[in-house]
Amino acid sequence: MNKLRLPLIATGVVLALGLGAWAQSVKMIANPNLKLDSISASELRSVFLKERKSLGGSHVEPVLARSGPAHDAFLRLYLGRTDDDLQTYYRSLVFTGRGSMPKVLESDTEIIAYVAKTRGAIGYVSPEAGSDGVRTLAVVSDNSSERTLISRVEPDYPEVLRSHSIGGTVRLRLTVAPAGIVESVEVLGGDAALGEAAAAAAVQWRYSPKSSQSLIEVLITFDPSR
Amino acid sequence: MYRRIARVVFVLIGSAGSVLQAQEFQIFDRTVQVHGFVSQGFVYTGGNNWLTMNTRSGSGAMTDMGLNVSSQVTDSLRLGAQVYDRNLGKLGQYHPSLDWASVDYTFKPWLGVRGGKVKTTLGLYNDTQDLDFLRTFALLPQSVYPMDLRDTAIAHLGGDLYGAVPLKRQLGAVSYTAYAGRRSDSIYSGFAYLLTQYQIYLRSLSGLQYGCDLRWETPLKGLLVGASRMNQGITGKGSFVNALKPSAGLLPYRISTTTDWTNQFYSQFSAGKLRLDAEYRRYVSDESYLPTVDVADDVRGWYVAGVYRVARRLQVGSYYSRYTATSILTGPGAALIGSQPDTSLPQNHIYDKAVAARLNLDRYWNVKLEGHFMDGVGVGVYPDGFYPQVNPGGFKPNTNALIVRTGFAF
Repeated sequence: MNKLRLPLIATGVVLALGLGAWAQSVKMIANPNLKLDSISASELRSVFLKERKSLGGSHVEPVLARSGPAHDAFLRLYLGRTDDDLQTYYRSLVFTGRGSMPKVLESDTEIIAYVAKTRGAIGYVSPEAGSDGVRTLAVVSDNSSERTLISRVEPDYPEVLRSHSIGGTVRLRLTVAPAGIVESVEVLGGDAALGEAAAAAAVQWRYSPKSSQSLIEVLITFDPSR
Repeated sequence: MYRRIARVVFVLIGSAGSVLQAQEFQIFDRTVQVHGFVSQGFVYTGGNNWLTMNTRSGSGAMTDMGLNVSSQVTDSLRLGAQVYDRNLGKLGQYHPSLDWASVDYTFKPWLGVRGGKVKTTLGLYNDTQDLDFLRTFALLPQSVYPMDLRDTAIAHLGGDLYGAVPLKRQLGAVSYTAYAGRRSDSIYSGFAYLLTQYQIYLRSLSGLQYGCDLRWETPLKGLLVGASRMNQGITGKGSFVNALKPSAGLLPYRISTTTDWTNQFYSQFSAGKLRLDAEYRRYVSDESYLPTVDVADDVRGWYVAGVYRVARRLQVGSYYSRYTATSILTGPGAALIGSQPDTSLPQNHIYDKAVAARLNLDRYWNVKLEGHFMDGVGVGVYPDGFYPQVNPGGFKPNTNALIVRTGFAF
């Protein structure tokens, strides 16, 4: 089977267990100059709380949405604050001379365009939003025993489905062996045919080694427009 | 004067749309941000006039505003400055001041340095006490954050070391601030105003201020605990009229503290829509108050507060605050004023129950309604909101207050 690189497929890597529906409601994106495939939850939090301005020696700049489901999911999932609480926090920095207001934009389109052109920018959009010119980031647990995705194979988009504009998001549960090999894939949700294609790719992924087996949930989105 | 104030306020609000658009601009390829705020309060009291305003008739003499400019020049270097102005009854009197102006450099997450005029970290809210738009309450608990004595702790001209250190074994994180500098009070502050009742007129009140703050984000999610310590050596200079010899006219006056320290302990717990705060502050000072009087003050205040977010734009809150002050006077002139050792007397305590509601009209504008039920007036040698000059008929033991306050920040 050809391992063609598909025109967008948004892949979100979800922390095992517990993040569920909220994590499916937001996708992290970054400027391509940031050589990152993933970011830890604590690093993400510190960037958006203005506690750090660089990652791995590269400048980072948080970009927020003004409102919307992705915004709400991001705040709840990664910052544990309401929008008002976050605004209060930023203003406490601004008006005591200890920080500046981050960039706030109105829509996924604006955020993607800004992140694509701005060195070090990290933002969040809806999972179904495009990824033109930006890098998608996986958010991984701070628990050092959690797995890091080392290599990823993009799934083949079944041509018959794409030609009929059939797309969607597939949710998978991967059983990862201690050595990092994906032992089995269970399709938890989404179109059956797309799930089969996603599973065929995911079984070829490789994770970092760990002392024990892991269960990891991931999302793979098939977008027929790309 | 009120017409001028109203004009300023309305121009600010009316131009808010264009100002909001112009909040950020570029200088030499660096982003510069401009932010500001204004707040206006109205206070009505039954009992006594409060905070140097004629509140028994209703007073709108509670206005403050600030404007800042800042830039994150590099990932490590930050510059900025803020101007602040206020009027609170007889205090402030619209004499704008440099609120802060600092250069801030972060070497590592665990070590940064800032210098210039810097807001002082003391307890949960000392450095943000002017920023009404940040909180639910119209007034912070006056037992710990007296509005009339803002200048005593708000900022120092000097430098800070600061940093945050994550702890191992998931024990949370510790943040620290250590500072030293010079405090310089406005002559339109509460302490200077209090002294005028004794015909003492300060033209300066300043001195060394140094201290530290340590706070721990505990492993229990939402729980923060901390402690602060501040030491000072303050000198005031001015003139006075000797009550025993008024014919001598204005004579040189000097006041200095020999012992002057503050301890503050605090905790905060946030969970969902609820936040709980508790703080305790103790201030001890020994000072030469008049040429023939030495005063030992022991001021203690604490409060517990709760705030709940009822809806996206509506918060309600309540606090209970207790303030006691004892003053022991010694020296030949001590009998003129008299020691105040008994905190059960109304003049040596203020017990305040407050309830408040805050409504956010939009992202920038809020309105608050707050009630206070106060037992005592705390009018010993150290002030806390009640002044004889605006209560010439004497003090009643209790004061109830209604505050309506609105604020705009961009």
